Amino acid sequence: MALTRRRFLTNTTAAGVATFATLQFGAPGAYAQTEEGTISIALAARAPSGINPQQSGLTGGDNWAIYQVFNGLVQSRPGTFAVTPDDFQPALAESWDVSEDARTWTYHLRQGVQFHHGYGEMTSRDVMFTYGRQIDPDVISAGKVLFNNIESIDAPDDYTFVVTLVRPDPLFNASTAVTLAASILSQDAFEEKGEDFNFDPVGTGPYFVESTDESSILLTAFPDYWDEPAATEHVRVSFIADTTARTLAFASGQVDMIEGVRQPGWIPTMRQRDPDTIFDATAPGSFNTLHLNLEYEPLDDIRVRKAFRYAIDSAQIASAFGELSTPMVGIIAPQFAGSVTREELPEELQYEYSPEKAMELLAEAGYPDGITIPAYTSQREDYSTIMLIIQEQLRASNINLDLDIIDHATMHAENNLAKNSVALNSSSFPPVPTLPFLQRLAAPADAKPDGSGQGNYSHYGVAIPGIDDLLDQAQDEPDFDKRIEVIEEIERKVLEDLPLLGIITLSYVIARNPRIDLGFDVESGYAYWPLNQARIVS
Amino acid sequence: MGRMIGLRLIDAIPTILLVLTLVFVALRILPGDPAQVALGDMATPAQLELFREQMGLNLPLWQQYFIFLWDMLTLNLGRSLVSNVPVASIIAANLPYTIELTLVATGMGVIIGVPLGVLAATNRNKLPDSGVRVFSLIGYAIPDFYLGALMLIVFSLNLGWFPINGGGTDFLSRLHHVFLPALTLAMVKSAFLGRLTRTSLLEVLGKDYVRTARAKGARENRVIYRHGLRNALLPVTTGLGLSLLATLSGSVAIELVFNRPGLGETLIGAIAERDYPVIQAGAVIFAFFVVFINLLIDIAYIAIDPRIRVQS
Repeated sequence: MALTRRRFLTNTTAAGVATFATLQFGAPGAYAQTEEGTISIALAARAPSGINPQQSGLTGGDNWAIYQVFNGLVQSRPGTFAVTPDDFQPALAESWDVSEDARTWTYHLRQGVQFHHGYGEMTSRDVMFTYGRQIDPDVISAGKVLFNNIESIDAPDDYTFVVTLVRPDPLFNASTAVTLAASILSQDAFEEKGEDFNFDPVGTGPYFVESTDESSILLTAFPDYWDEPAATEHVRVSFIADTTARTLAFASGQVDMIEGVRQPGWIPTMRQRDPDTIFDATAPGSFNTLHLNLEYEPLDDIRVRKAFRYAIDSAQIASAFGELSTPMVGIIAPQFAGSVTREELPEELQYEYSPEKAMELLAEAGYPDGITIPAYTSQREDYSTIMLIIQEQLRASNINLDLDIIDHATMHAENNLAKNSVALNSSSFPPVPTLPFLQRLAAPADAKPDGSGQGNYSHYGVAIPGIDDLLDQAQDEPDFDKRIEVIEEIERKVLEDLPLLGIITLSYVIARNPRIDLGFDVESGYAYWPLNQARIVS
Repeated sequence: MGRMIGLRLIDAIPTILLVLTLVFVALRILPGDPAQVALGDMATPAQLELFREQMGLNLPLWQQYFIFLWDMLTLNLGRSLVSNVPVASIIAANLPYTIELTLVATGMGVIIGVPLGVLAATNRNKLPDSGVRVFSLIGYAIPDFYLGALMLIVFSLNLGWFPINGGGTDFLSRLHHVFLPALTLAMVKSAFLGRLTRTSLLEVLGKDYVRTARAKGARENRVIYRHGLRNALLPVTTGLGLSLLATLSGSVAIELVFNRPGLGETLIGAIAERDYPVIQAGAVIFAFFVVFINLLIDIAYIAIDPRIRVQS
């Protein structure tokens, strides 16, 4: 058949319409819309990565959904962090005992707890399965490092679960049992569903997964929940990565809550548009600390590191972020046990902001005309904002930070190859005071040029003697109060050597439409909280 | 015709192979460890090693390359390193939105741009011509992501006529969702097509056969649309093809601004997460589209210009 112009135009038009129609009906998916009886929250992530708490690569958005679908053995009071051993509340475990040496933890499980979709009662078999996967070195799973201290697990009967630790841990509930990675999975469902469990999970939480698509997860209240049933029938967790799109979705009323932007000026701008908007922020949020590379000249000189400390005004940086931030003195956030306050420190460790003192120290170290140090940081908004302020502050003390701003994954990769001289790091830690030191300053975590190391970009404990002995002492101490005393000693030692500077904490923030009542106030905690008490009030 | 399509497809093989190689090499040069991104900065070295081993990331590069080529040849797109979801299903969920956006934007661009070009050409150096010129300048000058954000604020947030984000569910909702992002892309496209149509039509209207048609007493409309526009369409078709490719790449930014699902938005996220299988599959699909659209342009030439048909 000859191809004519008329036939070409007719055929292409028909093909175009047919293609469009096919796409309309062929593609799955639904985007977040305001729905009756549904609370919707939009998080800063591209798409769901999974609703399985042990899946690697989970984003903050996934965590929100997971937290509504699963339970752990223990929980903290909604909207707070459990900071001391007495702060924990029962969840799937009704009670627990800890041995005197803080190495044996026995959990007495709640009876009659049902899994979603008729997968039966939760028993110690499911708990053994969940923890068993986390301590199995051949299974790749999220948060595995939190289970490193477990020597063995046991289930003497259906409702008792026993954990034996390698080293004492009076805060085992905080370091492991309360974390999302320790959420209890249904063994039967996991084994039956295989890979599909990732998006069709079975837990014991107040909500079960109704449906998922490429940009949202719809949760429905679980009528057989072991505690009070959820106050609202549905929760939609949506994923909107772009800040503008997310903010506009909130401003237009399309979603009830959005993950905020941790940048100066965001909250005032939002308040200007609608003064009734509620901002729920967790304190402390992330710890923003600055690694000084002890193997990089002239940072190997304590006088230069002290000059850095005097030249950086953490309070000014914190004030730029308004109510989202608090200045840090040491490495532990001021809200956590083990932290030190400026007032209780000797004068020489208080490091009151003083560019003059910084310049004096530089001159004493042989740099009367100042120094130039190359460094790089991530383009992520919190990293770049903090580092640009630091750069300006250092400039006033004749320290020129020659700063490159690069892609976030690249920054982490380069840091892991021990290439950065001044590395800002933003990490969220549970209230387990040994963790920041183990991750950031212990010799075994030393970053190595071949990439085999971890997050000690300062090379503390390798370039100069560090805190490893003290950390050992803290980790072997079964008594919580005594352990905290050792941690405070570590804080002081770090302030003497200055391999890592505490800069600010930065809260995780959610903007909330006042039509939603959470049922509690958000004070602290992880970057997600329960929505089972949340209700639409207007 | 069939032979021509066959030859063009054979021509496309080295292009696609080159794209595959470039994507593979670029990804491996790019700093960033997929294992570290997937497992987080608290992952133990043992877990990272196990992840690399399971995902084949610690094999020699040449071996990874040939496995990648074989997988692409056998349409085995693998699984996402981050979510462990089959890449084919990620593509299947997102690609329709990108195609939909590209088609609607192109349609809108033609509907707006070609008549504007005709209007400008038939009113040369008069007010409509100047108006179209100003419109084209603005269309060229405003970046599409900025225009998109403006449109969102005006038409979605303030006037509430269109949804803020998403792709829609049923037919009408999908049309409703695609309208504003497509219009954003169409503004740039219509500026380009309008200028192209004007230039091409002015050139054709100066040809002898047009003068002859007028001398024979043909009506002006017939002269312009029958004799002029048809012959002016050849360069416009080339422009349309190029603009279709530009729209496909431009859709990446628009998908982000309007938070639409789509291949571009998926690729951006995958690059940030160093999700090699998703990036590789996405890039191959984009390359396939370039080849496919070029082929369509060739076929369109033949349909529009009989002289090419005779030569081929």
